[in-house]
Amino acid sequence: MGDWDWGVIERSWPLLRDATWVSIQLFFASLVLATALGLLLALMRLSNSRPLRWISAIYVWIFRGLPALIILFFAFFWLGRELDLTPFQAAVLGLGVSSAAYKAEIIRAGLMAVDDGQYEAAEALGFTKAHAMRRIILPQGVRVMIPTYMSNATLLFKSTSLAAVIGLTELTGRSRQLANSTFKPIEILTAAGVIYLVLTSFLVISQGLLERRFRLKS
Amino acid sequence: MDWNFIGEIAPTILEGLWITLSLFAWSMLFSTILGLMLALMRLSQIAPLRWFSIGFGWFFRGVPLLLLLFYAFFALPELGDTFLLSPFRAAVLGLSLWTAAYQSEAFRSGIIAVDSGQFEAAEALGMTKLHSMRKIVLPQAARIIIPPFMGNAINTMKQTSLATVITVPEMTLLAQRIISNEFKAVEPLFTLALIYLALTSVLVIAQFGLERTFRLKV
Repeated sequence: MGDWDWGVIERSWPLLRDATWVSIQLFFASLVLATALGLLLALMRLSNSRPLRWISAIYVWIFRGLPALIILFFAFFWLGRELDLTPFQAAVLGLGVSSAAYKAEIIRAGLMAVDDGQYEAAEALGFTKAHAMRRIILPQGVRVMIPTYMSNATLLFKSTSLAAVIGLTELTGRSRQLANSTFKPIEILTAAGVIYLVLTSFLVISQGLLERRFRLKS
Repeated sequence: MDWNFIGEIAPTILEGLWITLSLFAWSMLFSTILGLMLALMRLSQIAPLRWFSIGFGWFFRGVPLLLLLFYAFFALPELGDTFLLSPFRAAVLGLSLWTAAYQSEAFRSGIIAVDSGQFEAAEALGMTKLHSMRKIVLPQAARIIIPPFMGNAINTMKQTSLATVITVPEMTLLAQRIISNEFKAVEPLFTLALIYLALTSVLVIAQFGLERTFRLKV
């Protein structure tokens, strides 16, 4: 084993920093897509319409049953070519629809944890279903969802590394390239690992803060 | 979609099924042993053991599996020829360590869910710690451990697909090869998706079976 080379990390830092930024953008874009689609799927699953319930259940079964990498390949090699998407857009689409299946289950569990009496009370007060969901049920469900939602978001952040396989130079893809070109895989990959650890730890800390923020004040 | 083409390529992709299954089986074996050890260390009275277990979990749950695989395959050999692993072994190493971090949480939550009166009763009966863990606590914890344990197993099954990036010739790699040689993506990806969906569905059914077997008989 050679000596640890700080210089190579220093020289690679601008590229690693830019790649980290790509990972973060990829994370937020796919988190937004996954949350919106997951909420829609959860509401479909809880609706009175049987076809909507079925579509949602089958969606969840398929997208939780497939490796995220395969979904990413579909988004890149198939949809990406049909719709002329950039690798970044294909990655957002693939990660988003894959993560939405998990988000749907988390949101559904949160909504179901809200006491039935809350629905009935809202109905008795003349709220429409949509209004009751938005004003009464969702705000209470969010509290229950935070821990699972955030740990799932951490998983999603790590999954952004898969975009390296479809040629996006986010943090993992870039560090793989740099490991090759500098012949210093230990230093480069360790640096990337540290960046991931810092960012995932940051997500864990923000989970604690969110939980405190949404705690019942009694 | 060209069904005849699917008929032609399915046998080629299925040739990788055995490697996918071996990756899964070896990783599950090692990660179960290691995960149980980590859970017991986390619950032990000896502080360094607890710290090690916490640090291990923080690290391996904080970095993406893809980066771990790159590390095992590209960086470890720099430390010396003993660490020059075949792609298959590097993949098993990465998958095992990664899965163990999750399995240790599954084991720990199961063990702490067993009423502490059970430990005390075993102690009062003169059982050693090891004996009471093996005969009293773990059998009761098994029931609680099954759902998260199987959830992790399903994840590991899906994550074996990542071994493609370090050139393990499992199903995903074989499908990728067809995509780049034949310039057709939909058929190989569809075939691949069906196989993975079948594999994960079998595990879901196994989970139901196990949960039923270990259910409390009252």
